Amino acid sequence: MIKRGFSLIWSFILAIVLGVTLVWTLFPIYWMISTSFKTNMDVFKMPLDLWPKEFTIQSYINLITNDITPIGKFFINSVITSLGTVLIAVILATFAGYALSRLNFKYRKSILMGILTTQMFPLVVLLIPLYILYVKTNLLNTYTGLILAFTSFTLPFGIWMIKGFVDSVPVEIEEAAMVDGCTRFQSMRLVVFPLIIPGVVATGVFAFLDAWNNLLFPLTLINEVAMKTLPPGMILAFGGEFKHDWSGMMAASVIVSIPVIVIFIVIQRYLVQGLTGGAVKG
Amino acid sequence: MSTKLTKNNGREGRWSASSKLAAMLIAPSLLVMGMIILYPLIHAVWLSFFNYKLTRPDDIAFTLTKNYLRMVQDETFWLAVKNTLIFTLFTVIISLVLGMIMAIAIDQLPKRFSGLRGFILVPWVVPGIVVGYLFMYMFDVEVGVVNFILQKFQIIQEFLPWLMNDKLSMIAIIIAHIWNQTPFYMLMFSAGLMAIPEDVKEAAYVEGASRWQEFWHITFPYLKGIVAITSLLMVIRNFNNFPIIFTMTGGGPVYSTTTSVIYIYRLAFEQYEMGYASAVGAVWVIVLLIVSIFYIKALQKDF
Repeated sequence: MIKRGFSLIWSFILAIVLGVTLVWTLFPIYWMISTSFKTNMDVFKMPLDLWPKEFTIQSYINLITNDITPIGKFFINSVITSLGTVLIAVILATFAGYALSRLNFKYRKSILMGILTTQMFPLVVLLIPLYILYVKTNLLNTYTGLILAFTSFTLPFGIWMIKGFVDSVPVEIEEAAMVDGCTRFQSMRLVVFPLIIPGVVATGVFAFLDAWNNLLFPLTLINEVAMKTLPPGMILAFGGEFKHDWSGMMAASVIVSIPVIVIFIVIQRYLVQGLTGGAVKG
Repeated sequence: MSTKLTKNNGREGRWSASSKLAAMLIAPSLLVMGMIILYPLIHAVWLSFFNYKLTRPDDIAFTLTKNYLRMVQDETFWLAVKNTLIFTLFTVIISLVLGMIMAIAIDQLPKRFSGLRGFILVPWVVPGIVVGYLFMYMFDVEVGVVNFILQKFQIIQEFLPWLMNDKLSMIAIIIAHIWNQTPFYMLMFSAGLMAIPEDVKEAAYVEGASRWQEFWHITFPYLKGIVAITSLLMVIRNFNNFPIIFTMTGGGPVYSTTTSVIYIYRLAFEQYEMGYASAVGAVWVIVLLIVSIFYIKALQKDF
């Protein structure tokens, strides 16, 4: 196999591009972490220190011990609603994705396109009627209400993703299983499901990220402090007079980001495979 | 539609049995989406015909077109549309170019460096609210690291009030979004680059094509579909983008970074103009539907 070699100039350009990319990508994250360990005295001092002079975890202690904006409670609320969303979204998307891939029925195409279109709707438009609906149905300030809202917005992507993965499983395998006496559900569970696990994992991870990062739903559908998730909790904590507690704000940012970054790094391979698989196959 | 066989590939069995099973499997998803998306959407369109303010809840009147006529003359609405277009255009184009450069650079690296891709993807998973606060801090006029670095390299003399100036604030917002979104483009382009068969590139090299020619005549045509689909998807995403702008500037100073979505939010939840906010929302849904049609067409054509 003949390959283009690396000339000196090209290697040089490549090194610069990669260097700039890494600094551009990682510096803000480094800055967030480093500020969270500074004292607020240091934060306000010019010239800035790139590394905290006086390393302290005071900002984290303040956050955790603060009763007005209980970040521990927000964290638990975020975990419960995000995991709930993952569970429901994965089950619903697997069923629907399987049906839309394998079964032949009227309106199949329209349903697929309809589902895709809902992904484009601006969430903010739905907030007013949704708020009214939630007041009527007593879903305001409930985990169920939030999980339903998160699920509906992550489902379209999940359904398309699972459909793409089921598409890539040869029908013949399922036929063989059914000839051998499997029912449709058994073949779904025992034959297809193990083969689409990367897609299921990707769907679950995206559901988690969507729910964890969502600001608008909990901002409007939750007005009890004790029921808030992390994003609206951060707005509550740093929106007004505490806007200049930079160190505290960055400490909260670290707490909010860590779960998603850790999950992302752990399952990165699955995610990339799932996303590109789903996207390329449509 | 009872006993007729489908024009299937001979493996789906009877129409009705298949439909019943499909309905059972899909119904839960459609139910949830119907309740949270479809019903509120219809209700929003309905509300847009009313003069409905939360501050005067008993004074609801059906006005049909009044909200829509108001929109035509509402300068802030048109400013929001302009802001949305500027914001989206710059964010998408710059992220797209940067993402492609990054993808190509990483693609050139030996396999053992592929872990690098994981690092570069991190900004994409950072929650929007964190991106917003982080960049608000970095662009702060007094303690912001952006001013500090720019001054150190003597690009600026005095610290700039990034988020308090109506021109600079838009630039800061766009930079924050580029940081957040570029990894996504890189990911899509990386996938596209992997799909280019090695022998095609090899042939180009053997035939004496330069790197530039190889990019222009081989790499780019392979990526064209991904460019179209990813940019349309990101146009839609950015038309709807909320958390970063909301936390960084809240749409200000005045209305200088108020995009359509932020404007709808401000109308509804700061001024309690539910009817008018719904009307702006309805128009925005139509705009997004039109873009979506292009997106779906592109999807069907390319894949």
